[in-house]
Amino acid sequence: MILFRRFIGRALWRDPVRTAVTVAGLTLGVAVVLAIRLANTGSVRGFERALDLVAGRTSLELVGAGVGVAEPALAELGWLRDHGRVSPVLDRTALVRAPDGTEWPVRVLGVDILRDQPFREYRLLQITEDNLDDVRPQDFLELLVDPGSLILTEQFASRHGLTLGGPARLVVGDVVHEMSVRGLLRDEGPARVVDGQLALVDIATAQWLFARIGWVDRVELQLFEPEAIDEVEAKISARLPDGVQVQRPAQRGRQVENMLAAFHFNLNALSYIALIVGVFLVYNTVAVSVIARRREIGTLRALGATRGRVLRMFLGEAAALALVGAGLGVPLGWLLAQGAVRLTSTTVNTLYVTSAATVPSLGLADLLLALGVTVPLALLAAAQPAAEAAAVPPIDAVRQIDPSARARRASRRPQVVAAVAFAAAAWCSTRPPVDGLPLFGLAAALAVVLGAAMLVPALLSWLRRVGRAPLARWLGVEGLLAHANLSAAVSRLAVSVAALVVSLAMLAAIAIMIGSFRETVAYWVGQTLQADLFVAVGDRTPVGAPLTISAETEAHLASHPQVRAVDPFRNVDLPYGPDGDLIILGAGDFEVLLDHGGLLFKAPADARTAMRAAVDADGVVVSEVFANKHGVSAGEWILLDTPGGRRSFKVAAVYYDYSSDRGLVVMDRRTFARHYGALRPTGMTLYLEPDADPDLVRDELLAAAGADTRLFIQTNATLRREVLRIFDATFAITYALEAIAIVVAIMGVAATLLTLVLERRHELAMLRLVGAGRRQIRRMVVIEATLLGALSQGLGLVVGFVLSLILIYVINVQSFGWTIQFHLPVGFLAQSTLLVAATTGLAGLYPAAVAMRTSGGDRER
Amino acid sequence: MHALEAVDLHKTYGDGAGGVQALAGVSLTLSAGELVAVVGPSGCGKSTLLHLCGAMDRPTSGRVHVGEVSLADLDDEALTQLRRERVGFVFQFFNLLPTLTLQENIALPLLLAGVEAAECERRARASAERVGIEHRRDHHPGAVSGGELQRAAVARALVHEPALVIADEPTGNLDSENGRLVLTLLTELTRQTGVAMLLATHDQAIAAAADRVVRMRDGLEVRDTDVTIVGAVAPSS
Repeated sequence: MILFRRFIGRALWRDPVRTAVTVAGLTLGVAVVLAIRLANTGSVRGFERALDLVAGRTSLELVGAGVGVAEPALAELGWLRDHGRVSPVLDRTALVRAPDGTEWPVRVLGVDILRDQPFREYRLLQITEDNLDDVRPQDFLELLVDPGSLILTEQFASRHGLTLGGPARLVVGDVVHEMSVRGLLRDEGPARVVDGQLALVDIATAQWLFARIGWVDRVELQLFEPEAIDEVEAKISARLPDGVQVQRPAQRGRQVENMLAAFHFNLNALSYIALIVGVFLVYNTVAVSVIARRREIGTLRALGATRGRVLRMFLGEAAALALVGAGLGVPLGWLLAQGAVRLTSTTVNTLYVTSAATVPSLGLADLLLALGVTVPLALLAAAQPAAEAAAVPPIDAVRQIDPSARARRASRRPQVVAAVAFAAAAWCSTRPPVDGLPLFGLAAALAVVLGAAMLVPALLSWLRRVGRAPLARWLGVEGLLAHANLSAAVSRLAVSVAALVVSLAMLAAIAIMIGSFRETVAYWVGQTLQADLFVAVGDRTPVGAPLTISAETEAHLASHPQVRAVDPFRNVDLPYGPDGDLIILGAGDFEVLLDHGGLLFKAPADARTAMRAAVDADGVVVSEVFANKHGVSAGEWILLDTPGGRRSFKVAAVYYDYSSDRGLVVMDRRTFARHYGALRPTGMTLYLEPDADPDLVRDELLAAAGADTRLFIQTNATLRREVLRIFDATFAITYALEAIAIVVAIMGVAATLLTLVLERRHELAMLRLVGAGRRQIRRMVVIEATLLGALSQGLGLVVGFVLSLILIYVINVQSFGWTIQFHLPVGFLAQSTLLVAATTGLAGLYPAAVAMRTSGGDRER
Repeated sequence: MHALEAVDLHKTYGDGAGGVQALAGVSLTLSAGELVAVVGPSGCGKSTLLHLCGAMDRPTSGRVHVGEVSLADLDDEALTQLRRERVGFVFQFFNLLPTLTLQENIALPLLLAGVEAAECERRARASAERVGIEHRRDHHPGAVSGGELQRAAVARALVHEPALVIADEPTGNLDSENGRLVLTLLTELTRQTGVAMLLATHDQAIAAAADRVVRMRDGLEVRDTDVTIVGAVAPSS
């Protein structure tokens, strides 16, 4: 330990910039990984917490197929009371309009209060102007049977200026209901859900408000013998009529978790890039240290240090750096997680679920995880240079060593490793996913990255061979000197350049992937969105009860003289398959779609004919994502749960869709009505007369609907822009993560250059003596840095191209199930090339300044 | 028993036709308290001979004994232990570790041998006093003169009381005054401690201070001359 402290510890301390850069790299890497993990956990936990609080003491729940449970079916379920207390629930979303005109979302729970009170811990704070601490259920009942009664949480009411006994407007879909606040709930139990955004109404009122007369969303069951839940669940399941299923409340949480799994998995994988780049820096630091201190290691060996001792010292160096990096990375990760939650919640809320995500607090487990990942990775990274150190013979204490000559002799091995890695990548990219996750795809990407890193020494050697004459010609004596300096330090530079190549390759790959995806989506939007106007109520509500369009509004929209055709559509969430994955079941007007719409079909060849034939024949069309995820082809049959039980539907066609990675099954509205009943549409598309002005018609429709309307009508052009805006928001975090990795890598290059400058100080002083000016020294170092940046970007682009193919054709297909058409974002790549060369050049300014100082000082001495 | 016995040492670097023969059959013996100088022009193989005798490298053929131990029978670990316990080194370029103070550098062989810290310090301090650099003990190598560096290296070579000291051009990187001082120190310490010292130099005058001189040319021993030591050592400048 004494020797470690003196030999390694002091060396790290004496080279503070390189040590700080390495620690900073690791810190950022650990922080990014932890931040993404915390943010992911936060978004799922936010939903689960809401679920737990609302579920209360519910042991089991009965759910229908996508559209709830019909009350006639309930009447036949009297036997359920033998097992426990029963409470039907309608669980919806609406908006409360505050006195200042602002609107706030609330979760509206419609319950039968007499039956429901044992389930949830409601504590009424007030029901009249006078405080009443103890409210009897009868008082509660009286209060709720008034159809205008609304109970809000105390927190929500005070926040938005709503008072007990005062009016409150509840906006349901496109309809505004005048209600009055008849009670306030204490901030406990379900009232704490999503930050107090909960409203309680009587179930009959809820059915009326949400146009679900005769239906409930689920029936909750509180067992007399909770410990016998497995047995009771099996008994109930066996007796339930078709179309009704029993499940545990946690099942809904698991469905959300499954839904987010691929999204989170990819974010996690991406976050590890920054850590891997940080680990590269550890390799860099240890490798440079071994190369630069070879004579010292030889001396130690000559004086009696064993190989094992030398090995342990250099592994210890990596472990020490990793410990400090991880220690600092954990708190930074928690801070970054706050930002990541904001960035990812856009995606999660847009595409998946609405939840109040919060970052979980840090625990010992997070620190252990950070150490458990970082330290072994750092040790792995340092293993090769540490082994090289251990192999230094004692005679190197006195030998004149030329490490680069050594590296030249050994330069074949990395190329062999690269060839093996590329072959492994080719094999991995043909393997199927594992449990729906693209593990082999990621292994292929890692193998490509490894292969690319191994090619870097060869690339630098190539520069050494061919670069001399052009650099001298174009950049004068500084170019010549820069070439000479880089040529003499190939083995030292290889690692930091490799780290930069890896980061830049990932950036290029992600840019190509996102660019391709964006182009594909833009093309798909262009082809698919053929309607002139798109009507929805409020914002998108991804999962849960959607907001619906009332019959009056539907009639009003269809009656406009310029409207040629109308396609009202309805989406419901439906569990599908053995794991109960939530898919989207959509209902639309197939004839209108075929006549006016522009679905892009993947299969079969005569998809339009097949779709037309499906109208009266229980046929459906499915999205490509659904087909890929569930292994379904056109012409096959799928089983869907309906209120009347499980039914077979023939897959008439498969079409391209990029609106959801959950998978869509679409049936004609008449087929839907036959199986699921008549449901109000959640959206409408309007096709206008050829000479109509969409903006004008939109304005007329909105004006006729009145100032209070909740309708959102978008023209084709604005919707297309909106789709791409959401797309860009979704990928914002991807770029943020990548940017961090690149910053770390550029820091690595600057640190290596600094080391080289410090090692060459006598040489630099000599240059000054023979007449080199300070500016010339600076120019030389900046040329070196820029050359390294340009070279890294060059190889990064080539490797990035290969990686993008894996991302697009393997990882994306396996994670999300959609096909992306390849597109090269030439402009972006050209810009990033210039930017990287400029940034690395700038990063060279500090080593250049040190070079100027050092060379001046040495000359004077 | 000899402190060092080397018999018919051959050493070739590289393989086949491109191989370079550095030693072509050199034999040598050293007794305790004896200082033997190996002299010859650059590239004659004297450093190679020292490396083989100091267990830093292995001969292509031939054998080396340090005391009763045959180096050919030792694996890497045992060779390391032998160097740590029975051999001291003085290098032309001092080879002090820049991150350690002179005192810590001197104590290094003891530290590597697992001697406890207080004992390391006591013995290193005594060794530093013996070579006259006690006032520089807490300095780092970058802050002292070349002569002081080499005296610290001599102190390090002797701190663990080895049987054999290998000194490869110990004055080659010093000015004449410091060279003279270091050589005096080496000869005196050889006499005082009874250590066997094998010293390589290309300077004939320095060799005059040795008990015996081994002259080398092209990897071969040219002549083994007995030298009578008269009075003080007088190395050339």
